[in-house]
Amino acid sequence: MKGRDKVGSSTRLPRGSDTLASGLAVTSLALLAGFISLPLISLVVWTVDKGAWQAMASPVAVDALLLSVRTTAMTMAILLLIGTPAAYVLARVDFRGSRVINTLIDIPVVLPPSAAGIALLLAFGRLGLVGQYLNVFGITLSFTTAAVVIAEVFVAAPFYVRQAATGFGAVDRAVEEAAMVDGAGHWRRYFRVTVPLAFPALLAGALTAWARALGEFGATIIFAGSFRGVTQTIPLAIFAEFQRDLDAAVSLSVLVLGFAFAVILAVRYLTGRSTGDRA
Amino acid sequence: MLGEAQGISGDRRVRLSLVAALLVSGVTLAGMVGCGGVSGGEAGDGGRPQGGTLTVLAASSLIDAFGELASRFEEKNPGVKVRQSFESSSTLLAQIQQGAPADVFASAAEEEMNTAVEDGLVKGEPEVFVKNREIIMVPKDNPANIDRFRDVAKPDVKLVLAGKDVPAADYALEILGKAKGEYGADFEMDVLSNVVSRESDVRASVNRVVVGDADATFGYASDYTPDIRDKVKVVQIPPDLNIVATYPIAALEDAKSPGLAKKWVELVTSEEGQRMLQKWNFEPAA
Repeated sequence: MKGRDKVGSSTRLPRGSDTLASGLAVTSLALLAGFISLPLISLVVWTVDKGAWQAMASPVAVDALLLSVRTTAMTMAILLLIGTPAAYVLARVDFRGSRVINTLIDIPVVLPPSAAGIALLLAFGRLGLVGQYLNVFGITLSFTTAAVVIAEVFVAAPFYVRQAATGFGAVDRAVEEAAMVDGAGHWRRYFRVTVPLAFPALLAGALTAWARALGEFGATIIFAGSFRGVTQTIPLAIFAEFQRDLDAAVSLSVLVLGFAFAVILAVRYLTGRSTGDRA
Repeated sequence: MLGEAQGISGDRRVRLSLVAALLVSGVTLAGMVGCGGVSGGEAGDGGRPQGGTLTVLAASSLIDAFGELASRFEEKNPGVKVRQSFESSSTLLAQIQQGAPADVFASAAEEEMNTAVEDGLVKGEPEVFVKNREIIMVPKDNPANIDRFRDVAKPDVKLVLAGKDVPAADYALEILGKAKGEYGADFEMDVLSNVVSRESDVRASVNRVVVGDADATFGYASDYTPDIRDKVKVVQIPPDLNIVATYPIAALEDAKSPGLAKKWVELVTSEEGQRMLQKWNFEPAA
């Protein structure tokens, strides 16, 4: 709406340059939209044309799907349990080194996942910095489902913690203090006032983190390896299958495309509602 | 493009190639298109000093030997640049089928080369230029106590193999099939139940042992390179169970630098090339 108002108000400028500028802008947008939608449409066309959705029921695809569901569920449980209080502290407490911690938490977002995989291997692999001591106690993480979860938590954590912290930061302190005055203890205030108020942000953060965990490839294939049913999540199965059973690879890709759509729509709806509430 | 590929043939190879274009060779293609001007720059074969670029697609086990051969080739042909891509032979085949711009294909197995010949992608007859054997590699400290071949069937050995259809893994399965007769019907199953990961190519699976996370892997004798000898130990596979991997090489039909491609094959099969390959533990072809 705002954009259209601006275009309308600028009609006082020479007409020629205006139409040229908006024409260029519209063309750029159309190019970008076409560029993004074309590959996605190709996926769907292939699936429909070849009946590739049947491959969604292939054992490899089913195993990958189940494993992805299991590992991302565990990842989210860990993130909610540890990430939520951590985000609260980041948003509310001004401590020494908070800037350092803030920067640190964002690093997995910009680190290439393959580099993250190498880093995890050097930390938790059998000869790794920590892994060698775990190994003494008979704990090896490489090639286990636990390694998949570790990789997912590593790459997805910032997405949740960042958005949760922003959500907590937006909660009016006066409301929290009012709850205190009314006799609510710290825990009660946190669960009855702060978390509900920040809830849309927490949920939006959780959804994007989940999507990131679901799409995790580089760190997983390097740190956890690739084996059906144990470490081969959907993205790894797509990679393994595309040379052998293309239909399975395509159908899995369509499946995650569907998930991606659902996540974006949900996040849109939630963040839209939360900002609407506050306005 | 989608419609076109379907129009020509609905068969799997074509479909496979299509995706190979999008996923595997996308980067390669982009890189090579970017330097397309150079690739086409080969001068005539008249013995004059010539520039140009030779693009070699080779099985990942050849990475060290071909790296050395490339330096020698550039020395002998001033102004020429050799560009190489090392992946599993099955991945390379998919790239060639899609039309990845390349001059030479060196495969770790006859099967991939035969498919390339059948598809009319190869110029002339492929030549077997080296042979290789499989070995078991374990970390130096040998955590799973694998001292002889049959130990890989022990319970709880973390065994890593290359991916399905990768020659190194196909050969390994062939060996296990042969071993059934000697070690009993359960041997093959026991070994396969120890597999904890399938890697993209043989070098990736060897690396799992080098970093110490896997207890054992099947690799080629030539993969036991000097730089990993302080980290890895070799367990031999009994000769009667082992296979002989044959490596064919051929110039490609769509080569941009056919003259250089021919020279590369000549160098690889020459006495000098064979000497260099044997230095990297390959066995002579003849």
